[in-house]
Amino acid sequence: MRRFPWFLLLCALLLAGCAGEDAASSAASPAPAAEDRLTVYTSHKREVWWPIVKEFEERTGVWVDVVEGGTNELLGRIAAEADAPRADVMFGGGVESLASAGQYFSPWVSSEEEALDPRYRSPDGLWVPFSSLPIVLIYNTKLVSPGELTGWEDLLSPELRGQIAFADPAVSGSSFTAVMTCLAALGGDEDARDGEEALLRRLTESLDGRQLSSSGGVLTAVAGGSAKVGVTLEETALQWEAEGADLALVYPAEGTSAVPDAGALIRGAPHPENAGAFLDFIVGRDVQTLLTERFCRRSVRKDVESPQRVPMEDIPLADYDVAAASARREAVLMTWAFYLGGGGEEAAP
Amino acid sequence: MKGKKPLLRTFRSRLFAAVLAVTAVCLLVSSAALLQAVRVRMIQDAAEDAREDLDSVLSALDGLAEGLDAARAALEADPLLLSALAGEAVRETEAYAALFSATEGIRDYARFDLYDAEGIRRYSTQASGGAPSLPPGWGVLRSADTPGAFAFTATDDPADTARPLLRGAAPLYWEGRRVGTLAAGVYHAHFRALLEGKYGGRNDLLLLSALWRPVYCVQPSLAASLSPQLRRQVLDGAPLSDPSGEFSYQTADCPALGVYAVLRRPEVFTHDTMRLLYTISLAFALFGLAASVFLSFQLSGRLSRPVRRLTAGMDAVEAGDLTVRVEARGDDELASLTERFNEMVAALAKSQEALVENQRELNEAQIRMLQAQLNPHFLCNTLDTMKWISKINRVPQVAEMSADLADILRYAISPDELVPLRRELAVLERYMDIQRVRLSGRFAFSMDVPEELEDALVPKLILQPLVENAVLHGLEGVDRGEISVSVRADGGTLTARVRDSGRGFPESLTGPYARLAAASRRDRLGLYNVDTILKKYYGEGYGLTLENDGGAVVTATLPLRREEEGGEEPCGRS
Repeated sequence: MRRFPWFLLLCALLLAGCAGEDAASSAASPAPAAEDRLTVYTSHKREVWWPIVKEFEERTGVWVDVVEGGTNELLGRIAAEADAPRADVMFGGGVESLASAGQYFSPWVSSEEEALDPRYRSPDGLWVPFSSLPIVLIYNTKLVSPGELTGWEDLLSPELRGQIAFADPAVSGSSFTAVMTCLAALGGDEDARDGEEALLRRLTESLDGRQLSSSGGVLTAVAGGSAKVGVTLEETALQWEAEGADLALVYPAEGTSAVPDAGALIRGAPHPENAGAFLDFIVGRDVQTLLTERFCRRSVRKDVESPQRVPMEDIPLADYDVAAASARREAVLMTWAFYLGGGGEEAAP
Repeated sequence: MKGKKPLLRTFRSRLFAAVLAVTAVCLLVSSAALLQAVRVRMIQDAAEDAREDLDSVLSALDGLAEGLDAARAALEADPLLLSALAGEAVRETEAYAALFSATEGIRDYARFDLYDAEGIRRYSTQASGGAPSLPPGWGVLRSADTPGAFAFTATDDPADTARPLLRGAAPLYWEGRRVGTLAAGVYHAHFRALLEGKYGGRNDLLLLSALWRPVYCVQPSLAASLSPQLRRQVLDGAPLSDPSGEFSYQTADCPALGVYAVLRRPEVFTHDTMRLLYTISLAFALFGLAASVFLSFQLSGRLSRPVRRLTAGMDAVEAGDLTVRVEARGDDELASLTERFNEMVAALAKSQEALVENQRELNEAQIRMLQAQLNPHFLCNTLDTMKWISKINRVPQVAEMSADLADILRYAISPDELVPLRRELAVLERYMDIQRVRLSGRFAFSMDVPEELEDALVPKLILQPLVENAVLHGLEGVDRGEISVSVRADGGTLTARVRDSGRGFPESLTGPYARLAAASRRDRLGLYNVDTILKKYYGEGYGLTLENDGGAVVTATLPLRREEEGGEEPCGRS
């Protein structure tokens, strides 16, 4: 017991030392106030979101905290954080994906609503469109002559069997949209159920069991010559074309879809005002102009001209229903996996 | 102390533990305090150095801002350039002359471009590089919305050293109309020339925008990798720190350029340094601990060794060895204690010796008495026979003497040690009867004993030797001698005086009976025996006293004790 004060003294000395160190090393950091913050979950690539976020920051003085991730991963996080949301805005992801997670979003009517092309407006205001992304066919200009590939029907011809670069629709949102666009474009006249199933079977047979694990692989495969044709988004195809790759675009004659990607205000967002300002900003004229000029994307505004060679009015569009496509997602993917895995082989000639 | 562990029971272990604890605590406290003091001091010094570095960086940045502002003010007021931007025809060389004179001195640290209202570059202080046109509604040109001031924009990519890292844009007006924008671009090389050597060789400097986006670092890759981490910490409201703990940060605000300067400096005390220092001080502590263990072993051993030796000596004494002596070393308290112990043992040995001697002397006297009893019953019986024969032959003196002698003899050999005075006196009468016959009645004998003292207990045969001594020495060469015996009681003391009328004792013998030299013992063995018996029975306070009082007087003193029951029958005379 007699030695206790000594022990106390020792502790006090050590503590004093630690306290001194803390005081010496802490640096004043200008932590922003809550009204100057915004947290954005984005599935866009950095080259897309960074100029937009930076310009937004400079114009508003708001500190934007960007969290990158895949669309499904981020939607999962938003669902997990639904009770105490961390993010304010989900930026990126096709509207089918966002619509399927609609319960986690609050409606936001953009101040630019009137300027938007009515085709891309959200019926319930749950998302704000960002850019229009038509599905296109591409071919390697060295392996396929112009005119050989004109539409979806050509993909089903035996000549191209096994030569098609196609991403797994269960993984790639754009690939799923492509499958559904193909069904919508070709299946118009036939009996819906049988036609759809028969078409899926023919499509998978054409793939000959080959599908790519990501949408990025489609461009690589076609440009590299390991596949003659492929199905992808107009935006990426134009980028590769502009960079000089050996490929060309075809807008399918039977019609394609132009499903936009979008941003959405998260329900219960901690900084809803900044989130709204950000959503207004991404459909604003400045950003929409930027994305047509720099990102080879099509604007969702009526007043921003897209500098792409084919005006939107000249692209044949199939009758594509976003809500119906999201609703049939599971069923279509199961059928797809069944036929692709060899379920229809015995019937093949 | 009962609750203490057995470990601390001995004095030695307690001493040992105390020394150990004090040493260990002192060592640890002092080394911890020293370490902390040095550490705090060095950290403070380093922080101060960093502050100075940051100050010099800030003053350089402020200088740059002032230079930029001066050039801006000059250009804003230049009618030639403004009118040229407004579309009036101006000679190229004059316009450039105006631009170069306005930006004199600051061109080493920035590039100046003049854009017209459409965002087309019209004039530039550098021939090559830069954007020939900028979108008016985006980025730099859009940010120029405050007349008379630069709005600063950070680069999109700090690793792109071919483009300006920090751009200031100011709107230009001519005749009330916006005619263009002045853009000042500070490149990586400019910042490097401005800040090189201003922030310490081992530090890194990071310039961040107001929203903590990267602007400049001497290594562009570091700016790209470090700024998101720092921005994260700012957003989380956490102090700027390094996950590995090897760096510390200090920041300063430069509002003139709209940037933050962040100084990253290597931690003075990294984990490795601290570990090394702790290891060293621990090693010292262990060394000190070992030394103190050794010393306290030595010291406590020095204390406990004499104690152990004393204990061993006491054990020996307990076992009866009084010759044991404990060696006393030095002159400390323990040595004097040891000496006292030795003295004590010596005294004990001496008294033990005296006791043994006493015992031996007592045994001798008893043996002599036994020897005196050796001629026992045979002599008695012979004397009885002689008595009867002389009665038959009508020789009454022989018969009487034989009877007396036989009584005396019986009395002498009887086993009783203490007898009533009455019997002693009766035997004395018999003895004197015989002496009267022997010496033909040449002396007078008288006894003066009070009646009440006759039952006092006295050792057997103490009066007879005294009287015999008086007969042998006191009547020598005297015609009509006198011998008187008187017994008196004085308080608890019984005094028996035997007086003769002889020459008396030599002067050297008078006083309390002293132990005579062995030579004269033979002569006066009777006195010696009586004195010894009295002393053995009653102690040194009693015994014989010799004096001269018209002859020799021997006084025996002994305590007065009464017979408790009826005295034993004297040796019967039949």
